[in-house]
Amino acid sequence: MSSHLARAASRIRRSPYQTTAAVSIMTMTLFLACAFFLLAAGSQAILRYFETRPQVNAFFTTDYTPSPGQVEKVKSQLVATGKVDSVKFVSKDDALTIYKELNENDPLLLEAVTAQMLPASIEITAKNPADLKPLADSLKSVEGVADVRYAEDIVGRLSKWTSSVRAIGVSLVSIHIFITFTIIMLIIGIKVANRRDEIALLQLVGATPGYIAAPFIWEGLLYGLSGAVIAWSIAYLVLLYSTGFLVGFLAGIPILPIPVVFMLEVLAGTIALGALVGGLGGLLAVRRYLKA
Amino acid sequence: MITAQRLTKKFGDISAVIDLTLSVAPGEFVFLTGPSGSGKTTFLRLITRDLRPDSGSLVVNNHDLAKLKNKDLPVLRREIGTVFQDFKLLADRNIWENVALPLEVRHLPKDQVDKAVKIALELVGLTSRTSLFPAQLSGGELQRAGLARAIVGKPKLILADEPTGNLDPKTARTIVKLLKDIHAELKTTILMATHNADIVNLYSQRVVSLDKGKLVHDNPKGKYE
Repeated sequence: MSSHLARAASRIRRSPYQTTAAVSIMTMTLFLACAFFLLAAGSQAILRYFETRPQVNAFFTTDYTPSPGQVEKVKSQLVATGKVDSVKFVSKDDALTIYKELNENDPLLLEAVTAQMLPASIEITAKNPADLKPLADSLKSVEGVADVRYAEDIVGRLSKWTSSVRAIGVSLVSIHIFITFTIIMLIIGIKVANRRDEIALLQLVGATPGYIAAPFIWEGLLYGLSGAVIAWSIAYLVLLYSTGFLVGFLAGIPILPIPVVFMLEVLAGTIALGALVGGLGGLLAVRRYLKA
Repeated sequence: MITAQRLTKKFGDISAVIDLTLSVAPGEFVFLTGPSGSGKTTFLRLITRDLRPDSGSLVVNNHDLAKLKNKDLPVLRREIGTVFQDFKLLADRNIWENVALPLEVRHLPKDQVDKAVKIALELVGLTSRTSLFPAQLSGGELQRAGLARAIVGKPKLILADEPTGNLDPKTARTIVKLLKDIHAELKTTILMATHNADIVNLYSQRVVSLDKGKLVHDNPKGKYE
C-alpha cells in the first residue's frame, strides 16, 4: 500500500497544474457541501428549538399602552382556560431593556430607538403545543393587540425554509459533485493515457488489475482528502468569524458556538465524500485500460 | 511447454497466423525465424494471451489459454519472461527498479526481491549500472537490463521478440550468448523470434520458420532459410 501511495504522491508532485485544477474544483464542491450541510443543520436545530417551546406572543400596537387592570384581566382569563403554563407581560420599557441587551455592541442602533417605538406584549407559554392556536385566536380579540405570533406559525415557516435549503443544497452539490467527478476522471485519465505503455508492460509481467489501478485510485483519494481538509477549514473559519454576528441575529436561540465534536464529524463526512468522488474517478479513469 | 494446434489469428482480412501446429518441449531453445510480417510477434503475443486466437488451441505451461479466466492471466504471465526489441524499460525508474518490477507486482518481501535482482543483474553483468536510468545506458546495456527483468522471476519460459533488432552485430551476439548461458544454467525454455541469419546460423539449434503466417520449416538443428 505504501509503495502505491508513494507512487501516487510522486505523480501528483510531477504535475502541479493538473493537481491545482483537481484540488481547486474538489475544494469548491466540498466547501459548498459543507456550507449547505451546516446551513441545513442550523435550520434544523432552530426548528427543534421552536418545536420544544410552545409559546404565543401577542404584540400591542406601538401607540397603545395597556393599563395594569387590562393586563391583569387578560392574564386571569388566560389562566382560567387551564391551557396556560405561564403568562408574562412585557411593557414598552421591558421591551427596550431586551432590545438594549440584544444590541449592546451596536451603539448606533441603541441611540435610534426609544421605549415609545417598541410594542408592549404578552408572552404565554402553553402546557400543550396543540393549544397554541386556540390561545392565539383568543388573544387576537384583546383590545389593542395588533399581531399574534406563535411557535406553530414560526415552525411552519422554518420547515419550509429548511426544506428549501435542503433541496437547493442537494441539487447544487449534486451538480458540482458530477462536474468534479468528471474533471477528476479527465485529469487522471490523461495520466493513465500517458502511461499506457507502462500499464501494458505491468500486465505482461503479471501485475493484477488491482495493482495497476491502485496508484491512480490513491491519486484520486489524495485529491479528495486535500480538497476536503481545505474546504472544511475555510467553512470553519467563516463560521468562527461570523459567530459574533450570528449570536446577535439568532437572539437567544442557543445553537452557537457549534461544538468542536460536531465540526470534526462534518470533517469526517467531507473527507468521506471527497474520497468517494476522487477514488471512484481514479478507478473509472483506469478501468478501461485494465480489460484483458 | 507450448502446444499449438491449428492456431489461426486474423486482423480483419489479413491472416497473421494460419493453421499453425507446433510443440516446444520444456528446456528447449528454439529460434523462430521469418521475414517481417510472417507472424512471429503475433505468435508470441498469442502465447502471453495478449491476443486471442480466432481458432485452434494453445496450451502454455499446462494452461489451456482458451479456458484461462481473466483473473488467472497474471499467473500465466508470471511464468513467462519477455524480452523486447525496444527494451520497454520504464524511463522514470532506475535499472534496479526496472529489473525488480516482475517481483514487485507479486508483493514479495524486500529482502527476497533484492536478492533475486542482485543475482539477475550479476548474470547479465550490469551490477555497476543499477542506479542509472534507462536514458543513461547504451543499447546493449538496455537489452541486458531487459534480459535481467525477464529472468528475475525465474520464469519457466522466456519469449524474446527480436532482442537483437536494435543492436549492432557484436552486441547482438553478446545478448544471444547471454540467452544461451541462461538457457544452459537455468534450463529455461526459450523461444527467440529473429530474422538475424548470422545469429541463427552461429548456433546449431532448432529453427522454426514462418512465412505469411504459415509454418514452412521446423528443423531440429537448422539454419536460417
